Amino acid sequence: MKLFSVSALALGAALAGSVAFADTIMAEKGKAVNMVLLPKFLGILPFDQANRGAEEAHKELGNTGTLLYTGPTPENSVAGQIEILTTATSQGQNVVMLSNNAGDQIAPAAEAAQAAGTKVVTWDSPIPSGKGESLFVAQVDFGSIGTVMADMALSIIGPDGGEFAVLSATPDAANQNAWIAAMVEALKDPKYAKIKLVDTVYGDDQSEVSYNRALALVDKYPDLKLIMAPTTVGIQAAAKAMQDEGLCDKVKVSGLGLPAEMVSYTLNGCAPEFALWSFVDLGYLTYYTSYLLATGALKGEVGETFNAGRMGDFTIEEDPGRAGAKRVLMGPFTVYTKDNVEAAAK
Amino acid sequence: MSERGLAGRLRAQLASWEGFLLLVVVLLVALNAVATPYFLTVQNQINLFQLSIEKIIVALVMTFVIINGEIDLSVASVMGLAACAFGWLFQQGMPAGLAVAVVLGIGILCGAFNAFFVVAVGLPSLVVTLATLIAFRGMARILVEDRGIGGFPDWFNRLGQQPLVGPFPMALLVFAVLAAVAFFVLQRTAFGRRVYFIGLSREVAAFSGVDVGRVKAAVFVASGLVAALAGLLYAARVGSVRGDVALGFELDIITIVLLGGVSIFGGVGTVTGTLLSILIVLNLRNGMALANITGHIQTGVLGVLLILSVMVPTIRGWAARLFGGGEAVR
Repeated sequence: MKLFSVSALALGAALAGSVAFADTIMAEKGKAVNMVLLPKFLGILPFDQANRGAEEAHKELGNTGTLLYTGPTPENSVAGQIEILTTATSQGQNVVMLSNNAGDQIAPAAEAAQAAGTKVVTWDSPIPSGKGESLFVAQVDFGSIGTVMADMALSIIGPDGGEFAVLSATPDAANQNAWIAAMVEALKDPKYAKIKLVDTVYGDDQSEVSYNRALALVDKYPDLKLIMAPTTVGIQAAAKAMQDEGLCDKVKVSGLGLPAEMVSYTLNGCAPEFALWSFVDLGYLTYYTSYLLATGALKGEVGETFNAGRMGDFTIEEDPGRAGAKRVLMGPFTVYTKDNVEAAAK
Repeated sequence: MSERGLAGRLRAQLASWEGFLLLVVVLLVALNAVATPYFLTVQNQINLFQLSIEKIIVALVMTFVIINGEIDLSVASVMGLAACAFGWLFQQGMPAGLAVAVVLGIGILCGAFNAFFVVAVGLPSLVVTLATLIAFRGMARILVEDRGIGGFPDWFNRLGQQPLVGPFPMALLVFAVLAAVAFFVLQRTAFGRRVYFIGLSREVAAFSGVDVGRVKAAVFVASGLVAALAGLLYAARVGSVRGDVALGFELDIITIVLLGGVSIFGGVGTVTGTLLSILIVLNLRNGMALANITGHIQTGVLGVLLILSVMVPTIRGWAARLFGGGEAVR
């Protein structure tokens, strides 16, 4: 009897071990999974790029089902997303990959989808409460953004140090404010002692306003060496302003930008370094994750490790920002320079 | 005799706008049913209404407003304000049941506010409700700022999301009841006749002893109340609220009403026309969505519909000439 229980224990431990140290889950190619890629709305480049990544994975996995890229118009984003998710459920689609723009308003529709057998995988922007969501594929760990920006500033300004200013979106843009605060925090490290943040101004995420604010900064601070813009609108406007005024030798631009919009400024030296994540990769990883979930290979539980083709292995973890929700973290920011910006701009 | 009479009646029916709309509904349903196997499922038919339920409820009362010769552009902002006020009151600790009552009161106040400036001050409703469209939306945004408020009681969410009787959720039953009430009041009561009369000519109605101000005020207050109810139904359906709830819905609502044959100049239209138009818009949207047609094309098609709908009087003329049923042109 005792022997039996010991062996049972051993067996149990072995089983547990086999689960804990399970091999990386691989996708079985060629299954039929009907998938819908649902962006916040149609008509802007990053979402089209994500679709390109999804199509790449679709082909690679030889999915005999369909991949549908559809979304609402910007004015009708919230109601449109709910409608498309509900329609996809009626159609019996296997997975909807959602970049959520509806906050928790989409949660009931997502729960209804799950109940009817349609999985909901979010990417780019999750369902805040996590309700109705199988998994969230997160692009980057936003906690690292402060260091990323501080490092780019140091690299551009150089070891001798100098002044730089921030050109942000609006004074109450929650994302940007958090990111700037993270950068200020990171700058306290002694290695950044010689670079000095002199001002923060706001271009309202409008090209013309941002352009003028950038020029005003140059007038106000004659020793300015860098404008850091943590917004894709601001960075492009600032780079254009420096280029138009022939100031690129003196004042550089950096921040968060889209490779396709920044490529010329990076190659001509106006914006030698900037960061973002690749939306193509995000679409690719989201597709892999969703395919694995829909085929049942992935249960969607914390600790599962799976292979996502050319991007390597990923592990499902607790989402530190949302209690009870699970995420797959794509990885660190990509810093773009003249070496890699052209490939990413396509 | 009988055959010719039947054909004649049929021609007359088709020549009326409602007859034409009915034909379109039948065509759309048939096309959708052939195009996709998912269309005729019970769940899809319920979703079809449920996804736009707040808009079509407000379209019923908008029919009164426009026939009365006015416009209420503020309805979607009232919906947003109602939903946000509910969320805010609930967050402040008010029991949800009481908050519902307070919010309906807010809807009445919003309607009364519009009515005051249109009836007592004599400003055009286009201007008044454009101003309140902005103002009520602003209040909604002040109440909830950039957050979302959720976590409403289970009974509240269940009413919005689960079937109540058979497969029908509460909002659909509310719509059915309101549609019956709207039909009865507009087509069968003295009040309804006054609404038409005022819409045709405010002056003549006033000289004929109709209390124009009272009728108009009643219609605007009803509009505010129904819009607030629709806002609450929205909050229950999606389980949380944000400052942008129902943003832009007024245009969809007005599109439906005008397509239903209600004249933007007042005095002409029926609840039946609005109901048929609702079926057309919902079936069209649902059919396009099931056929995986993207949002931009859907918006374009609805735009064409709107142009078509303002051409209603002209098309009626054509139809009458085509079918020779001159008496069908009202």
